[in-house]
Amino acid sequence: MDTVASTTKMNRDEIFDLMKQFITEVIGEEFVEEMDITPESSFTKDLEMDSIEIVSFSEKIKAHFGDQIDFTGWLSSMDLDQLINLNLGMIINYIYECQ
Amino acid sequence: MAKFVFIVPPLTGHINPTLSMGAVLLERGHRVGWITLDESLAAKLPAGGELLHISYDENDQQKRESEQYLDIITKKIVYGIDSLKFLYEEVLIPLNRHSYDGIAYLLDQFEPDLVITDHQMFAGAIAATNKKLPYATSVTAPAAIKVMEELPKIHEWEMNQVIGLQREFGVEANTPIVCSELLTMVLTSQEFFGDMELTPNFRFTGPVINRPATKITFDWDKLQQSSKPKILVSIGTTFDHEHKKNFFTKVVEAFGDDELTVVVVSDPALFEQWPENFIVQRQVPQLDLLPHLDAVVCHGGHNTVCETLSNGLPLVVIPIAYDQSHVAGRVVRTGAGERLNFNRFKAHHLKEAVHQILNNPDYKTAAETIKRSFIEAGGTETAADMLEQVATKQSLEVLKN
Repeated sequence: MDTVASTTKMNRDEIFDLMKQFITEVIGEEFVEEMDITPESSFTKDLEMDSIEIVSFSEKIKAHFGDQIDFTGWLSSMDLDQLINLNLGMIINYIYECQ
Repeated sequence: MAKFVFIVPPLTGHINPTLSMGAVLLERGHRVGWITLDESLAAKLPAGGELLHISYDENDQQKRESEQYLDIITKKIVYGIDSLKFLYEEVLIPLNRHSYDGIAYLLDQFEPDLVITDHQMFAGAIAATNKKLPYATSVTAPAAIKVMEELPKIHEWEMNQVIGLQREFGVEANTPIVCSELLTMVLTSQEFFGDMELTPNFRFTGPVINRPATKITFDWDKLQQSSKPKILVSIGTTFDHEHKKNFFTKVVEAFGDDELTVVVVSDPALFEQWPENFIVQRQVPQLDLLPHLDAVVCHGGHNTVCETLSNGLPLVVIPIAYDQSHVAGRVVRTGAGERLNFNRFKAHHLKEAVHQILNNPDYKTAAETIKRSFIEAGGTETAADMLEQVATKQSLEVLKN
């Protein structure tokens, strides 16, 4: 069983690519092409996502990982400043640690 | 006869519904006052309405301070979640702190039977509580009471700002008192508001739409000569020049020479020239105009969205800040329109979205459904009924004691 678990565990690059795919689905391909999305990209300032877009992004993570990670729980614990400063790297770390 | 007083912030969208409710109460023989920082409101009040202007025995410094709040919200470019911080820390909390003493003084002078405070005039609820006066709350921007399940701390943070202000003025409650236990009127329908459990003091009145007393001239001939679909493009009163210039540049690119007639609310001097198929006016008679239109493009201000849906028209909503993202979300969720991202959208997206809502009848059908829910909720007369009932009940309580 251990082997199965280790093969399904994604590394940080894979998680980054998956997150990029979700962002693309939320904001549209042509915008993503114009942006230089990195782990440092913040949702509010760099990606210019508003609260509704952040929520649809989180729904995609939830749909993908299911019960494996409590992403909604993690996101809902964030206060206003944490949300304003939320960047992609923090999400990658969280998902990585949860696996 | 009862005495009612509305406490309003200097924000058009929050004032307009109180003008309609006040007009009905005046027609029914009551006395109605408006407490405001903005002296120019006098010109907009319905006949018989009394202006109760917040003014201090002021030195120039205080007077300047009062004036700065009148348009403070237009002074900074803000966007998304960040805008909420600006709204509370730099606009609402200082505005309310500054207004408190004036409100408390005017309540003593006017001695209302019922105070109706805007849900963002926290100082109104605080002053009424301290003066032991009954108050109702008018929620003109219903997104403000909605808690996003996934981001509950946004609302919690907002409410902590309010609780902090309450403490400054001696109200020790650990919860916000701004939504009245007696009556909190939510100026939309449950259907458009969406699912959320609310206690029975929250009552949906439907949109309270204001018909301005003054006639606004409009180029009706040009509109009526056109057999093409007609749309209105408006991003409201709250946003500054630079926002508008960027925005309308894209609007011109999207619809110049398109098979549409485009009514634009803007200073015509924004550009030297506008396309032939555009009608550009600084102000339009929006309520008279809407029945002649096929769709609306707007920033998601609650009033414009509700007026549009009340006419069963589909929308493209392009939210900029504050609660507009939420309003846009509701439009999409109910199927009555599409949303675009204000910073990212390009002319061709706007063009595609507008043609989509014009050509696919599902959007219009969904808008008609919301329209019916608004009619069922009641509107201005229903809101006035609720206020009268609370006022009567309160005076009976006073007699009993």
